[in-house]
Amino acid sequence: MSREREETLVRRLVELGRKLGADDVEVQLAVSTEFEVEVRQGEIEKLIQADSRGISLRVTKQHRVSLTSTNEFDPNTLERLVEKAVRRAELATEDPYSGPPEEFGSPVEPESLDLFDPSLAELMPEAKIKMARETERIGLALDSRISNSLGAWMSTVISSYWFANSRGVEHHFVSSLASLGLGLQAGDTDHRVEQYWWSTARHLEDLESPEVVARKAVQRTVRELNPRKLKTMRAAVIFEPRMTAQLLSFLASCVNGMLVYRGRSFLAGRLGDFVFGSNITVMDDGLLPRGLGSSPCDTEGVASRKMTVVESGVLRSYLLNAYSARRLGLKTTGHASGQGVAPHNFYLKPEEASPEEIVRSTEKGLLLTRTLGHGTNPVTGEISKGAYGLWIEKGEIAYPVSEITISGTLAEWLSRVDAIGNDLEFGSPIGGPTIRVQDVVIAGR
Amino acid sequence: MIGREDVFDPPSFFAQRYGLEISSMAKTLERALARGGDFAELFVEYSLHSAVTVEEGAVRDTEESVGLGAGVRVIRGERTGYAYTNDLRFPSLQDAARTASTIVAAGNHGTGLADLRLSAPRLRLYEPESSSVFAGLEEKVQLCLRAHDAAAGLDSRIRNVRVSFSEGLRVVLIANSEGRMVFDARPLVRLDVSAVAEKNGSRNAGYHGDGGRVGLEFFREAQRPEEIGRRAAEEALILLGAADPPAGEMPVVLAPGESGTMIHEAVGHLLEADANRKKQSIFWDKMGQVVASELVTIFDDPTLPRLRGSYQVDDEGTEPVKTLLIERGRLCGYLTDLLSARVLRMEANGHGRRQSYAHVPIPRMSNTYLAAGEHDPQEIIASVRKGLYAVSYQGGQVEDTGKFTFSLRLAYLIEDGKLTRPVRQATLIGSNMDILRNIEMVGNDLRFGRQTGTCGKEGQSVPVSDGTPTVKIRRMTVGGRV
Repeated sequence: MSREREETLVRRLVELGRKLGADDVEVQLAVSTEFEVEVRQGEIEKLIQADSRGISLRVTKQHRVSLTSTNEFDPNTLERLVEKAVRRAELATEDPYSGPPEEFGSPVEPESLDLFDPSLAELMPEAKIKMARETERIGLALDSRISNSLGAWMSTVISSYWFANSRGVEHHFVSSLASLGLGLQAGDTDHRVEQYWWSTARHLEDLESPEVVARKAVQRTVRELNPRKLKTMRAAVIFEPRMTAQLLSFLASCVNGMLVYRGRSFLAGRLGDFVFGSNITVMDDGLLPRGLGSSPCDTEGVASRKMTVVESGVLRSYLLNAYSARRLGLKTTGHASGQGVAPHNFYLKPEEASPEEIVRSTEKGLLLTRTLGHGTNPVTGEISKGAYGLWIEKGEIAYPVSEITISGTLAEWLSRVDAIGNDLEFGSPIGGPTIRVQDVVIAGR
Repeated sequence: MIGREDVFDPPSFFAQRYGLEISSMAKTLERALARGGDFAELFVEYSLHSAVTVEEGAVRDTEESVGLGAGVRVIRGERTGYAYTNDLRFPSLQDAARTASTIVAAGNHGTGLADLRLSAPRLRLYEPESSSVFAGLEEKVQLCLRAHDAAAGLDSRIRNVRVSFSEGLRVVLIANSEGRMVFDARPLVRLDVSAVAEKNGSRNAGYHGDGGRVGLEFFREAQRPEEIGRRAAEEALILLGAADPPAGEMPVVLAPGESGTMIHEAVGHLLEADANRKKQSIFWDKMGQVVASELVTIFDDPTLPRLRGSYQVDDEGTEPVKTLLIERGRLCGYLTDLLSARVLRMEANGHGRRQSYAHVPIPRMSNTYLAAGEHDPQEIIASVRKGLYAVSYQGGQVEDTGKFTFSLRLAYLIEDGKLTRPVRQATLIGSNMDILRNIEMVGNDLRFGRQTGTCGKEGQSVPVSDGTPTVKIRRMTVGGRV
């Protein structure tokens, strides 16, 4: 589809909805080109390429809402769907909190976010295949303890996004995303360990090279060989950046306005309170140049911004869309994502210490490298997960551990952080530096 | 929109509606194999999905979505080329075929193609013509409101109740270079309730849900919506008074039904043939060996009527068969798709599934269960002096090495052979070979869990279900807090 046709389609749907009786119409259109190659043992395992597209539509009539999505673009089907959407809205209960936001803020120029890399759009399939091959080849050759490959992959997505509503708000931006990764196993079949590493970036030049991805994957895999089990105890736990990010991802769901207004988060009703230690500051930045979670607007057309979620331990803001904001008597923060809420670039503010210093200054503790399982509960803030890591004694890594769990609550853990690293990293839109949490329950033998 | 009569004849639906004639499907396959290759396939899909959400007694919103697309796959050796499009017109399908064919190096000769022979699915496991998508939304709104009121009215401590009714109809048409052409029309429906209970500032959420490849008649049965609502609220109330779980190693008894997720995670995933073809699974070199206690017999059966994981043909057009995976402790089968069956020289047993046309089929589970044993469930609980009784699950995860984790929403302590206090948010961890060997008792009370499960693998979600009788595991590591 050409840019003009995309624009015309979006505007036409807004007009059609109004004509058929909707008070408000919001339309999103995403058109993307996807590429993914997976290489295993030097051979291409899978090569996927596609052009895909989708429309989603929210119609409001007399404070009643209906939702529609389709990737069939036939004009008759679209007309029928819009017609049904307007009729379906009448099934909903009148809800004064529903409908689009009143204020949309002032958006930045999409170009200033630098989300699109033309060189990635132009990169030939052969070059991407070569990158995946190279990553796996280096990974398999670096260390004789590596016994199998779980595959290396390279994927790219180029997307064009449109938003338009019946209040005259329009947005359009183009973005690119690439990911290069490798999974490995080490050891013999009955004593195997496995680990992955991947790099994700908006621009090709920000993507870690095959060499770097392979080295990290190898190092992270072999260090887990011959694990021991720990006794049940309390000890310090050092979270690697991606483990901190996992914790932050749980925090993001606890400050999700949709859960907050329903009383389904332990942070409901806590704005302005000290909820964590005074060394904890959490930001959400929708405007980070080249950020994985950056965009000029959210899915309700509200301009993205940078804001403080937790300031020195005090809860300052939830992540809100128009609906949850009205329910809570607040204003939207521009975090609408579909019918829910999602962070942009959500991160724990880094400090000065290097990760090595944090390990060196730990008398006894666990360096957490990976977790398994889904054990988080936003209603109570409780966490309980299977854990893998490296046991630390006198500031040195002593041996790997597995088949243990760590448990506690988010509030406890983020009140007991006594070291924050300088190594903030984003493997996803949620990022964090290395942190050390004192006195965590570890269950084992 | 699709009509009720279309589910009996998807080829005509796609032909009349989108101009997709059998001749253009054949030409697409021909184009896909123009550079050579062992196999080519065209997968066409139309899906309709709708949902109603009720919260705090109000109908929050309704949702409708239409999915349309086609994927072309070319296989050469163990290499797969895949391309998909949302446009079913001939030139787009030709483009997709050309793109998928690039998996085969240039300079090869084209591969011949068998004539397409259409066949209807032989199995009859559900009634797509009775799918709830053909009924008006009003009745579904009523079902949600009934479930809501049952939950909200149970106890004054119940606060936020959220109910969702979600339904889908997925029509697939599959044609391949071996001449097979087959279709399936799969209905799927679920009603979910989540309720928050609050007392003295402390809160917890309980869940319940049910459904399957059924129509609205399922929910018209004796107070079904009310029962789902009530059980969600009951769980929330129990969790409100639940203690922190113990930590350490102890015997674990799995409650029947829901605990099937344990069989799914700890065993099922590692018996999917792709992980074994690639020698990644801990089971890849153990076919025919004893890997579990002799009390353990595990099946995966896509042919059980109306269950969530069932299908009449898989997403590669293969008729599925009930598959024995472990028989009295001995490993005897993998779940195969066409590619892994060919590479491993095994039968294709109809477990090639995909989330949609935008995904490559891979070996997946359907309805996985541990067969019933001989013990009385009461006797099993009575045999434990101090341990944990696992009741409801938040989810589980396994890696190819066999290490797994389960998050329990609700469990009970077993003390001196009796269930005593409820505990919340416990985690079970271990490695699958240990657990399989440590199964000490298997009950005679096989049940399937509630029909709401979805399994994720390599970024693809598919509906599944699982089941188990009461099972005693000699010891497991429980991750708790005290």
